[in-house]
Amino acid sequence: MLQLTNVRLFNRALPTFEHSFAPGRIHVVLGTNQAGKTNLCRLIAGLPCSASGDITFDGTPLPAPRARRGTAAMVYQAFVNYPNLTVAQNIASPLRAQKLSTAQAEARVANLAATLHIDDLLDRLPHELSGGQQQRVAIARALAKRARVLLLDEPLVNLDFKLREALQRELRALLEDQATTVIYTSTDTRDAFSLADELLLLQDGTKLQSGALEDVYAKPQSSAAMALLSDAPLNVLERDGSKHFIRPEHVYLRPPTAPQISFDMFVRNYVTNGNTTYIQGEVENHTWVMRHPGVWSGSDNSNVKVSVDTQDLRRF
Amino acid sequence: MASIELKDISFCYPGSATPVIEALDLEVERGEAHALLGASGSGKTTLLSLLSGLLRPTGGAIVFDGNEVTDLSPRERHVAQVFQFPVLYERMSVIENITFAIREQSAQIDARVQHIVEALGLGKISALRPGQLSLYQKQICAVAKALANPEVSLILLDEPLTSVEPAAKARLREVLTAAQNEFATTMIYVTHDQTEALTFAQRVSVITEQGILQTAPPDEIYNQPAHEYVGYFVGSPGMNFVTREGERVGFRPEWCHLHATSGIAVEVTTCRFEGTRAGRAHGLVELSSASGPLFYRGPIDAVKTGTQTRLGIDRGLRYRDARMVGVL
Repeated sequence: MLQLTNVRLFNRALPTFEHSFAPGRIHVVLGTNQAGKTNLCRLIAGLPCSASGDITFDGTPLPAPRARRGTAAMVYQAFVNYPNLTVAQNIASPLRAQKLSTAQAEARVANLAATLHIDDLLDRLPHELSGGQQQRVAIARALAKRARVLLLDEPLVNLDFKLREALQRELRALLEDQATTVIYTSTDTRDAFSLADELLLLQDGTKLQSGALEDVYAKPQSSAAMALLSDAPLNVLERDGSKHFIRPEHVYLRPPTAPQISFDMFVRNYVTNGNTTYIQGEVENHTWVMRHPGVWSGSDNSNVKVSVDTQDLRRF
Repeated sequence: MASIELKDISFCYPGSATPVIEALDLEVERGEAHALLGASGSGKTTLLSLLSGLLRPTGGAIVFDGNEVTDLSPRERHVAQVFQFPVLYERMSVIENITFAIREQSAQIDARVQHIVEALGLGKISALRPGQLSLYQKQICAVAKALANPEVSLILLDEPLTSVEPAAKARLREVLTAAQNEFATTMIYVTHDQTEALTFAQRVSVITEQGILQTAPPDEIYNQPAHEYVGYFVGSPGMNFVTREGERVGFRPEWCHLHATSGIAVEVTTCRFEGTRAGRAHGLVELSSASGPLFYRGPIDAVKTGTQTRLGIDRGLRYRDARMVGVL
């Protein structure tokens, strides 16, 4: 168990927080830019940064930053590889410290390269590779280290959509069976749903909420936490002098059923990506977005009847 | 009349034996929002440079509003470009940046600029310098600059949302779509991101090394992919393909159901929660089958990892030689 206490992610007057990362789980740290995600990674990795805090691993304090390198391995947003080393040499570079025989090292490199589908590129130099291939090399190198903590700081952000989708799935399959504590930072809600066992939500250097993905989704503790786990803005409904929040996927065009509230929405515009239609409009002087499955054949500047289930309303 | 026509366009980089683009045809209507969607290496950036005039085609003709512009320079084509990272003059205010390239002065132009500033919500920041703006604001400013110039006949957008963070992306997309609707400017948007392409454009062209595989409205691209690659490339994850009675059948993860009485024998590999609908957990399920991995998306309250079941196809499309030939 990786335990952080007295954490301050920026060098300014912020409340400190604590957090535990369980081993063998994939932790997605979700937050907008400047939330402190990179500082959190650098703090754990022992790299220079403006964050501070106490870190223990299984109860033992981590050594001073300089000696921490063996505990944590980090993959950055930009593809960082040794430019003058081949792919094989790059992956093997952390193995030198592990005193493996040449045969053992070669076997480890071959195995990792095969898993990440870069086994036909072992003799190439980084500049001869595409961005996606370079990032696979960086990930393979981090895995070769067999560190107890693997830090992935927005590792897929610069990649093509389809490649990102494939790597996400591969990463999950690869990391699932390991005892490694995986910490993956992102600004993208989709990463939380496709990768996370556990979530840590950050905002402006503070911890908003943490827990299992399903729990954080079902029981948000603040509107900020609820909004961070939504790909479209939250909807606001004012009733009895208080604000209720509702997710875009919990607004329905269907006729009323169980305990529900229905009202008119004035449609301003809508966009579809084929499998989902985002319908934007006005409800009682608030801008609303509804996430409707499939294609919607309505029109702009028209009124539609929408409904919400009372169980989906959240008040903070 | 088509506003932009590419006729039998080919392009080959000097010294290279293989053309990047070969015999490509494309028509974009006047006032249309068109997206070129493709992976890296598909030739979409080359096509963009051919449209802007930075590159000249090695064969074929480019026609804007009935006039051939194949040999005209970028300036002579009156094309404005919005890049991934906005290009603005740091020493000028937002409003000065927007009006800088406008040569003609009139009350009509002033009214147009005023209207654009209001429509894009730039009123409050028009006196600020680019250094004081967020990337999102800068990008809107770059779009306003392109819209404001009445001489501009085409706006090319090169991955304009890529560097903007997800929360601001949705807002910027709304502003872009609203501006396009209001000013009816012809826009061509180049991206690798299907969400951006499908939600922005009235028509999407899916481009690969083999050329344009399909040009159609977003829902048609998604629901009736003309080519297997379009089915795979659009959708996340893409279309499932299985072979049935010697024929390829494609179906989307949400076009099928689990625990069918008959259907494809599958085993549940992974199950990912994606939210709730009407009180039920929904998600994405990866299945292993004789045809390789398949995906199902929908309610997951009765799904258990490691169990064997059958997958029933509710809607499917038939493909022959990778081309769609009909409905199942």
